[in-house]
Amino acid sequence: MRRGTRPAAVLAALIAVTTAGCGVLPPLPEPVPSEIVPSPVAGLEPAEDSDSISPDGFDAVQRMAVRVRNVGCDELSTGSGFAIDEYTLITNKHVVADSDNLQVSTYDGRDIDVGTAATAGLADLAIVRTRDPLPSYPVLAESDPEQGDDVTIAGYPSGGELTISSGRVIGSTRDPLNANLGEVLVTDAKVEPGSSGSAALDDQGRVIGVVYAKTADDDSLLVPISTVREMLADAAAFEDVATCAGP
Amino acid sequence: MTTTPPVPPPTGYSSPPPPSGAGGPRHRAGAAPWLAAVLVLALVLAGYLWVTTTQWQRTAGEWEAEAHRYASEAATLEQQLDGANAELAAARDQLATATGRISELANEKAQLGDENVASRQHLDYQARVSEAAAKVAVALGQCVDAQDQLIGYLEDADAYDAADLTRFKNQVGDLCDKASDANDALQQELAS
Repeated sequence: MRRGTRPAAVLAALIAVTTAGCGVLPPLPEPVPSEIVPSPVAGLEPAEDSDSISPDGFDAVQRMAVRVRNVGCDELSTGSGFAIDEYTLITNKHVVADSDNLQVSTYDGRDIDVGTAATAGLADLAIVRTRDPLPSYPVLAESDPEQGDDVTIAGYPSGGELTISSGRVIGSTRDPLNANLGEVLVTDAKVEPGSSGSAALDDQGRVIGVVYAKTADDDSLLVPISTVREMLADAAAFEDVATCAGP
Repeated sequence: MTTTPPVPPPTGYSSPPPPSGAGGPRHRAGAAPWLAAVLVLALVLAGYLWVTTTQWQRTAGEWEAEAHRYASEAATLEQQLDGANAELAAARDQLATATGRISELANEKAQLGDENVASRQHLDYQARVSEAAAKVAVALGQCVDAQDQLIGYLEDADAYDAADLTRFKNQVGDLCDKASDANDALQQELAS
């Protein structure tokens, strides 16, 4: 009985060692694949400044700005404006006042056929409807900016080249020109005659106000976006502008 | 001489075990198959290891060749990327130049438009002034003619009714005053 058990135990031990040894032994290599598919690389960023380039190389701030030429009966003046939709632009009341003919041109020199113009009674704002589509229009901010917020102004100072100036909101004040009801915004962004009607944008490109004047300290005054929204919401707030040549 | 009879072993005792060397060959004969099995196992193991090593060497060589191929491809792509980046930078520069030029042209067009409008307004003004000057000249001429006529009447005053002469004189005075006012207004406009 004892003589039959011992070889069996040894055999079992041998099988066990062999089996365990197979686990330790290196496996045969996998064949080299004919084509290696690369893993997708996470975290790739788009090229620098790629988001600010439009199809024609001008950014949205430039594309929405328009130049307004007011051909009066005896004199000529220029101002700025900006689109709020495809066929509507906003500028100042004093930019379109005493006009015989309004002429609007875009950042790339295209002339836009003007339809009608209407001015607000209680703010230095005017709406101009166009027959030709406008190239681009920004989003209007929901609320007025806070003191210290960044501001960017795109317009045609002195009737010259399209210019973008930057600054910060200094605060608000009562309108020293009495052209607007309520408070107006003060910023340190530089403007000149001809900048009137320019859009003032926040750091997200939303309109926070409309330039209408500059102070003796070279600060700019804005009609706040809350007033703009109020006026736009009230159709009766605007009435057709009278031309110098008569109705 | 006495002989001692053999003493029988005491009851309960077995015969002593044989010397150890007496069973050796049988044990060696029993271990031989095991040794053969171990030897075969070792040979199998050695063979497997040899095959595995050979396979791994071959695969390592193939991977190395692949790595060289991909490294070469990566180097080519990097070179192409450098070229594309250089072209992109040049295109960006060209775009910036083009947009700058478009802005300049748009501004030049706007300025020319302003000048055109201003010139037209100036021409309109000049035309209005010329028209006014012509009217003033006509009025002054009428004044002179009327004064000449009045002088003729006064030279032969007895031939005319005094009241008619006075009325005509007043009419000439009014006409000349209006002509003079118009001339003053024109001179003022020209001086401004």
